Amino acid sequence: MVISGWFVALLLAGVVPIVVTNDPRWLVWWLGIAVVLAAIDLVIAASPRRVILTRDVPARVRLGESVAATLVIDNAGRRTIRGVVRDAWQPSAGAHPTRTRIVIRGGERRAIRTGLTPIRRGERRAAHVTIRSYGPLRLAARQATMNAPGAIRVLPPFHSRKHLPSRLAKLRELDGRTSVMIRGQGTEFDSLREYVRGDDVRSIDWRATARRQDPQGGQLLMVRTWRPERDRRVVIVIDSGRTSAARIAGEPRIDTAFESALLLAALATRAGDRVDLVIFDRRVRGRVQGASGPELLSRMVDTMATVDPELIEPDWGAVPGLVRSVTSQHALVVIATSIDAPGASRGLLAVLPQLTRRHTVVVSSVTDPDVLAATRDRSRRSEVYLAAAAERALLDQSRVAAAIRQLGGDVVTGSPSDLPPALADRYIALKAAGRL
Amino acid sequence: MTNTAEVVTPTIRQAGRAWRFWVIAGVLAVLVTLASIVITGATGAAGKPLSPTDASPKGSKALAEVLRQHGVAVTSSDSMAATRAAAGSPADTTIFLVDDGHFLNAEQLVELSRLSSNLILMTPDFDQLNAVAPQVALAGTVSGVVHADCSLRPVTRAKTVTGTGSGFRVIGSDPEVVTCLGSGDDIFSLVQVVHSGTRVTVLGTTAAFSNQFVITEGNAAFALGLLGSTSNLVWMLPSIDEASGPTAAELTPAWVSDVLVLLIIATIAAGFWRGRRFGPLVVENLPVVVRSSETMRGRARLYEKSSSRLHALDSLRIGTVDRLGSLCGLPRVADVEEVIRAVAYVTRRPEPEIAQLLRDADPATEAELIRLSDALLELERAVAAATRENSTTIDTPAHDKEPGE
Repeated sequence: MVISGWFVALLLAGVVPIVVTNDPRWLVWWLGIAVVLAAIDLVIAASPRRVILTRDVPARVRLGESVAATLVIDNAGRRTIRGVVRDAWQPSAGAHPTRTRIVIRGGERRAIRTGLTPIRRGERRAAHVTIRSYGPLRLAARQATMNAPGAIRVLPPFHSRKHLPSRLAKLRELDGRTSVMIRGQGTEFDSLREYVRGDDVRSIDWRATARRQDPQGGQLLMVRTWRPERDRRVVIVIDSGRTSAARIAGEPRIDTAFESALLLAALATRAGDRVDLVIFDRRVRGRVQGASGPELLSRMVDTMATVDPELIEPDWGAVPGLVRSVTSQHALVVIATSIDAPGASRGLLAVLPQLTRRHTVVVSSVTDPDVLAATRDRSRRSEVYLAAAAERALLDQSRVAAAIRQLGGDVVTGSPSDLPPALADRYIALKAAGRL
Repeated sequence: MTNTAEVVTPTIRQAGRAWRFWVIAGVLAVLVTLASIVITGATGAAGKPLSPTDASPKGSKALAEVLRQHGVAVTSSDSMAATRAAAGSPADTTIFLVDDGHFLNAEQLVELSRLSSNLILMTPDFDQLNAVAPQVALAGTVSGVVHADCSLRPVTRAKTVTGTGSGFRVIGSDPEVVTCLGSGDDIFSLVQVVHSGTRVTVLGTTAAFSNQFVITEGNAAFALGLLGSTSNLVWMLPSIDEASGPTAAELTPAWVSDVLVLLIIATIAAGFWRGRRFGPLVVENLPVVVRSSETMRGRARLYEKSSSRLHALDSLRIGTVDRLGSLCGLPRVADVEEVIRAVAYVTRRPEPEIAQLLRDADPATEAELIRLSDALLELERAVAAATRENSTTIDTPAHDKEPGE
């Protein structure tokens, strides 16, 4: 049961007869009148319980975009429901409006559209629907809350896709380069064709030229052409442990890792490589295997959507086994983690030799632009100390990076906005060098 | 599509079942309270000190009962009207006035003195004394036991009395004034005067009349002797209604209190109107938020708190040496000596000065630390400028020389 502001106003209006008549009995009479009117209103009000609720919620939305969710309210009773509906979503689902006025005649239905602009990644839920049904005098209302579960999956935004066209262009350039520029171990023999001016003479295939009999009698030179290697394996391992929860420039480390993983996957799958993803701390939090093309990206974002960092130390000892379970071939293993302090990175450094023995390993880590900025600003006493601490942090980072390089790994670092394209560039460079 | 939604809100019947225990418990508690009030007898005078119906240590029921057993008609009264009704002929009537709140005014006291021949006032205030015993003045508090020191019969029989209460002093030299139970310094606990034919006894011994102390010392003899001198005793504890002056209700129109009640009810209703929740909240697990630069800032504060200037400066130096080395084109493994030599050569500064800055100086004060840190930055800028100059000279020697010379 709910009383409205009108009921309070009705009570206050009782001041008039009490003052005018100056009769103490009017107080009781007026209270009686108000209560009786409210009771009548309450009895006449339609039951908010006799409704059928149907939700129509889109399954997915990218973070930062808006969608409309529809709630259909079917009045199963005979009386008209006049009142307000609250569609209860979690706060971070960004629902608006949350309250809607409705008038539904008996047996009819109404659809309520709620705009959703989620502010966090993951599964955003709607729990229930509350209906407040007023009587004809609008003095009192009946209220009921009904379970009406609904959910929408909020996917990572993939802002770094703006870097994709330029990186794809680079990849195509790789394809068309003259053989000399990219000749090396990693390139594969593509085909034989006639020599044209400008081709490197070192790529002339003399055996093929000898075999070739020109019908017109002349001798044509044949050259070998090459193309970048294809069908290589890329394994992306994302650390979802405690260090990934840290926020750098307003973005958790794990979100930057997702961005770079998505860009790399989009690029690698266009280049003809096979991409697998594992999100891992002490257990596998998400895994995408055996997908390719557009399906790969959609499965990746779907898997990433619900993963949040946990405050536990990742179990690096299990990572080599995990990579082996994904592929037994040589692969490019990208480990997205943080390399802030030698102490915290000990686990990673311990297992790195096992990985570098079989695979090409790239460790990608987000650096904090604030740290770099702090080393420059030294105008006051406390800032000098801060600069000293920042230099110390940078030194720690470079020590870990040096240790990784010594163990045969490769390191890519960058601020949250720079890391995804930097990782993509490193992939292209490795591909060009044929190290996949 | 055929079933209605699952309702979370309980129906009135379900809610009633859930709250049944508390409703019953609440009703029982109210009933028990009401019953106890009825049983203990919520009479007007009960609970007041020296009340003839109060059996607690502060009351005086013992005294009243003993007086009744001795044939004195004890009437408890809380208003002038009741006192008037209870008082018989003035000669036969004693009025014992216990007016802690000092509700009665001078006129009412004069009227009391007319109603009886023996008026006993327990701790009166200034106005009341002025009306019926103008020779008596208030003289602070008295404690301990006081001894009989006059010929008044109840006092001589009692010998000693618990004096705890107030004391009085006599102004002027009226021969008819009787003073008893002195506690020194001309302070007396009992003063008897005559006011237009009525004997007025002003008493300060509040403790002696209470149930707690009436059996100690000679208190009983003292009290019974004073109060039992006539066959009719009116024991008056005036209520606040006897206080003179118009009440608030008499001054305001009749509708004001009604409107106030209505406003209170409307306020409560408004509370229910605004306070009613529109369905329960939806819970949500929030992610962990960790600021990444926390360790860095913590370390900076640690340096600052312990004033480890050399430690902080060394951290800055390591960074600077690293950058200077790469600016001068030295390999990463180059040690400080090599960097110092290269920097001295590039900037054309004396080597000891560079060595002092990059290796040897130990800052003794904070100011020196700031100066050295600024010098490090300045050196980095100088080296960067010098190496840039060198590289441009190598790249375009002609272009660089012409404007210079």
